Amino acid sequence: MASVELKNLSKSFGDVEVLHQLNLTVAEGEFVALVGPSGCGKSTLLRIIAGLEEASSGDVLMDDKWVNDLTPRERNIAMVFQSYALYPHMTVEENMGFNLRISGLSKLEIKQRVGEAADILDLGELMKRKPSQLSGGQRQRVAMGRALVRNPDTFLFDEPLSNLDAKLRVQMREEIKRLHQKVRTTSIYVTHDQIEAMTLADRVVIMKDGRIQQIGTPTELYQNPANVFVAGFIGSPSMNLLDGKLETKGKTKKVILSDGTKLNVRSNSCPLNDGDVIVGLRPEHLHLAKGKTEKNTLTGTVNLIEPTGAQNHLKISMAGKSLAVADSTLVPLALDETIKVCIAPEQIHVFAK
Amino acid sequence: MSTALDQLNNAEDVAIVRTSNRKWRARKKQFMPWLFISPYLALFLLFTLFPLLFTVYLSFHAWNPVAGLANMEFVGFNNYAQELTSPWFWKAVYNTVWLAVTTGIPQHVIAIPIAYLLVTAFKGTLRHFYTATMFVPFITSTVAVSLIFYSIYSGNTGILNQWLLALSGVPVIGALFAWVPDAMPIRWLSKSDLIKPSIAFVVIWKYTGFNIVIYSAGFLTVSKDLYDAAKVDGCNAWQQFWHVALPMIRPFIFFALTLTIIGNLQLFEEPFVLTSGDSGGVAQSGLTISYYLYLIGWEWLEMGAAAAVSLLLFIIIAAATSLHFYFNGKKGLEGNR
Repeated sequence: MASVELKNLSKSFGDVEVLHQLNLTVAEGEFVALVGPSGCGKSTLLRIIAGLEEASSGDVLMDDKWVNDLTPRERNIAMVFQSYALYPHMTVEENMGFNLRISGLSKLEIKQRVGEAADILDLGELMKRKPSQLSGGQRQRVAMGRALVRNPDTFLFDEPLSNLDAKLRVQMREEIKRLHQKVRTTSIYVTHDQIEAMTLADRVVIMKDGRIQQIGTPTELYQNPANVFVAGFIGSPSMNLLDGKLETKGKTKKVILSDGTKLNVRSNSCPLNDGDVIVGLRPEHLHLAKGKTEKNTLTGTVNLIEPTGAQNHLKISMAGKSLAVADSTLVPLALDETIKVCIAPEQIHVFAK
Repeated sequence: MSTALDQLNNAEDVAIVRTSNRKWRARKKQFMPWLFISPYLALFLLFTLFPLLFTVYLSFHAWNPVAGLANMEFVGFNNYAQELTSPWFWKAVYNTVWLAVTTGIPQHVIAIPIAYLLVTAFKGTLRHFYTATMFVPFITSTVAVSLIFYSIYSGNTGILNQWLLALSGVPVIGALFAWVPDAMPIRWLSKSDLIKPSIAFVVIWKYTGFNIVIYSAGFLTVSKDLYDAAKVDGCNAWQQFWHVALPMIRPFIFFALTLTIIGNLQLFEEPFVLTSGDSGGVAQSGLTISYYLYLIGWEWLEMGAAAAVSLLLFIIIAAATSLHFYFNGKKGLEGNR
């Protein structure tokens, strides 16, 4: 296991700067997910850590050693690719043992180590098959086996589940989590799927346009998003972001939405000065108001109902905006019905505009 | 009542018309594909199948084309027996196989690494430029190429001999060419032991570019992820080529080898021009099977014997290709990508 540290790391392709002065420390044995929309630079960052791409400036350190000039092999990393990158002309066994063969290990040792990795991933039956004879999930397991067999200091995953169907993705996610809990190898996992990042990682790094927006545990990111981008990116369905005005009267703070709705916010969670702000309301924090006594309510008309079983996802028109609400009460509602939803002051997020 | 009967009759008429329409449509459906391929079929029957069958027919006859079709005489297997006992035929077979092997192997041994370098070291326009440059010999007329080499190989005025002489005067490396002044003039195309290597060089020069293009296309199909995976697995540049890139282009190697086997066994223009069409050069050292059957047919006007030789050549090519498919087909044709 190794710690990984990035210091002032930048990368440019010609005139286009894709990574800007990144700093990140991944502790030994930690599972960190890099997440962000397509083109944010997360895969480039992973390739720089792997040694497949050179940084334009800045340092990559592994176990406090400067590794910028080292090859992937010298860094002792293992990587799982989005396309699995299994060698089509080799069997599963040959694929898994290839790096050991290149390292010059004896056939006996290769067989033993490949066998151990195959046992962990339940690949025993597939050893003589070629990748073209495997399903997507099996290929994924072989790709992980190939990484595992090397006993690397760091695992790097480049969107390894994005080619799988939804059910298999959940299953493989569990396997990766279980595998990490078992081997505790430092892991860096790139994904654009925030659910995958949140469920797998000890810490999540949110990236946008080559810059780190926020680093934190999944709960921290969910509860205290640093900016509008993180707020909108984390959580499903996405947070509602509305224009508003912050007003302070004595000790109470209020946000006034564009239709005049006033919502109390917790004053200690809102360090901003009065003025234009963006108000963030998570759909799952908005509840259907039960009576007239409810406070912090918003009024709107229902224009879409999406039942998902455990919840109904509602779209409510309010002051020309569409507000998403995740309703767990499953109360039957009609389209165009006027309803009120309420939210607790401490669950309202306020961001500078 | 009569109205009901009329309606019934009308219904029957409609049913009959519908059935006949259906039959017509079905017939049209069957006929249309044949109509579309009929231009090709006509050409195929006229220019492929008929000559093929006529060659087989002809090979059992003695026929001088100048004397007309009426002079065709059935001779059974005589043409085959005559050729299989002819020393010229066996010399032609030996020369053809010699040239096929000595030109075939280097074409691929040179083309594969060059193609790999082109694909891995160059990008975009520069790669296209180099590839096109190497392809130029292939698209240049074989006769023109052979004529240029005929002049290069000339004993007294050829540039090759002049280069060798110049090299023999260069310090250090001149020692390697110290034998040149004594050997001058080297008659590349009129010494029996130099004719085949001289022809072989032209063939290699001409067809390597074609194989480079095939292999470049092959290397371009190898996913970049596989090279990355190989780097992560610890492969150096040579190991990436040997363990990943080369096995990945097996279908391309198989295809290019098939073309080379078929093409090289039919070698005609290069030996014909370089030996001035003179019975395969000194001691028939440049006589290939195609060259030989040309001599029989068009110089000696024995079309029956020429047809027999062409069928023997067909059998040799079929046998060589079958052996190639037998030994390399499994790996060459496996679609395991």
